[in-house]
Amino acid sequence: MKVLPSRSSEVATPGPARQPATAMIEIDHVSQVFQTSARKDHLALSDISLTIEDGAFVSILGPSGCGKSTLLYIVGGFVSPTSGSAKVKGKTITAPGPDRGPVFQEFALFPWKTVLGNVMYGPRQQGVRATEAEAQSRALIEMVGLKGYENFFPKELSGGMKQRVALARTLAYHPEVLLMDEPFGALDAHTRTRLQNDLLNIWERDRKTVLFVTHSVDEAVFLSDKVVMMSRSPGRIRQVIDIDLPRPRRRTELLLDPRYQKYVVDIERMFDDIDEAGVNP
Amino acid sequence: MTSSAAIGRRVAPLLACIGLLAAWQVAALALKNDSFPTALEAMRAVPAILGDKEALINILASLRRMAIGFAAAVAVSIPLGLLMGRSRTVAAFFNPLLMVIYPVPKAALMPIIMLWLGVGDIAKTLVIFLGVSLPVIYHSFEGAKAVEEKMLWSGAAMGLSAAQCLVRIVLPAALPEILTGCRTGLVLALITMITSEMIARQSGAGNILFNALDMGQYDTVFAMIIIVGAMGIGLDAAFEKVRARLVRWSEPQFDMPLSFS
Ligand SMILES: Nc1ncnc2c1ncn2[C@@H]1O[C@H](COP(=O)(O)OP(=O)(O)OP(=O)(O)O)[C@@H](O)[C@H]1O
Ligand SMILES: [Mg+2]
Repeated sequence: MKVLPSRSSEVATPGPARQPATAMIEIDHVSQVFQTSARKDHLALSDISLTIEDGAFVSILGPSGCGKSTLLYIVGGFVSPTSGSAKVKGKTITAPGPDRGPVFQEFALFPWKTVLGNVMYGPRQQGVRATEAEAQSRALIEMVGLKGYENFFPKELSGGMKQRVALARTLAYHPEVLLMDEPFGALDAHTRTRLQNDLLNIWERDRKTVLFVTHSVDEAVFLSDKVVMMSRSPGRIRQVIDIDLPRPRRRTELLLDPRYQKYVVDIERMFDDIDEAGVNP
Repeated sequence: MTSSAAIGRRVAPLLACIGLLAAWQVAALALKNDSFPTALEAMRAVPAILGDKEALINILASLRRMAIGFAAAVAVSIPLGLLMGRSRTVAAFFNPLLMVIYPVPKAALMPIIMLWLGVGDIAKTLVIFLGVSLPVIYHSFEGAKAVEEKMLWSGAAMGLSAAQCLVRIVLPAALPEILTGCRTGLVLALITMITSEMIARQSGAGNILFNALDMGQYDTVFAMIIIVGAMGIGLDAAFEKVRARLVRWSEPQFDMPLSFS
């Protein structure tokens, strides 16, 4: 077995050629207030500060309704925060852009486009020639396990298949930052594991920055450099846990690794605490 | 596989037509009223009308006005409805205007429009335009409003501008709803076409119908009703074909061509 040094130890290695990790995303004292239909202000995010380094894989973990999606939308530029600011590569985020690719919880596929049409949409918009965009898109569709479904319309796909198309569609235009909102939520265990591995392979190859929202402790630990634990009402960062496990990670090996098991158990305990706190506010 | 249910679906409309004509025939024979010809008499008058050059010119003139009025209305109403659906400001500006126009029977505006524009093509085409506009605006508006926000966000993340999003995402996403409006609009175009010609008698299918009524040629009156009805059914069926093809990606809907939907 070949164990490569983990990223964190790579960064820690002293040497003149090593660049210090640069910040890709800086979230600075962000709060988000929503007006509910009852005309009451609802504090969805409270004073969130978080820095995500270039090339890091960061997961956001927290109970339902704690503001994970909202935080992702702010980084995406789809929602502007009530106070505070978010920056990408040092520039304040004011609008969406192709440097940040979202994969939404609701898929949001274009129903009038086929699977291929959906995946090709981004590259075509960016001016990639049709033949080239098509070849790349077909390869991506194959990667997410949908070969043979290129000419299907979204309504003809299952929930899990739609989710995979959404992932391929975003990967197709090569965003530097991936903003993934429970992208594997609707998948069966087997496909989920496969796509987690594929995502890790892509990430290890391209070193994209990934902000990954999930409900699953297991998934967060397996994939991430850092896990951000959030608590509910109002959404706050409870704790940031560095996951110091070697890469490339193999699921079967990790499951037997006591360090992995300890991370999972520790975080799950923390999750339980938050849940209890959420029940009696 | 052609199941008996499929055959039944084919035969049912035919049976309905025959049933209607038979009931008409029986009722007319029973009533023996001069102003109520039998179905056979009315149908015998149809080829006579369609064979008459003058009548044909009249009908074609009607259809031309209808086509122009419909096309112009669709061309204006779809962009307007979509803009209203995506912009509160645009909606707030046009909504009161439309609310005033909506309940007014468009044919009731005919006298005023005739006063301004005369009895010619322009006035009649304008009335058709007004009749078609409202359902198309309304359905485009509803369709645009219902477009999933995340779909627009996905587009924006790919680099589409707001205007591009409107044309390349809102328009196709709202298309099923828009086409439902257009279909209602098409039937309304036919109705306003006839009523406008009833008020401004000068030419057209409505003109033939109401002149025949004045002169007591009841078989011609009923023959014209059959012709106009057939035109409506034909146009609607043709439009439904086009619609089904354009939105075959959409959720499967009750796909029977119901004209009153
Ligand atoms: N547009 C909105 N208007 C009003 N309140 C909102 C809006 N969007 C989100 N909220 C509120 O903000 C809070 C956070 O929502 P968010 O969708 O970010 O949660 P989440 O952590 O992604 O939940 P889940 O895991 O269930 O997806 C919720 O309490 C929700 O009610
Ligand atoms: Mg969410």
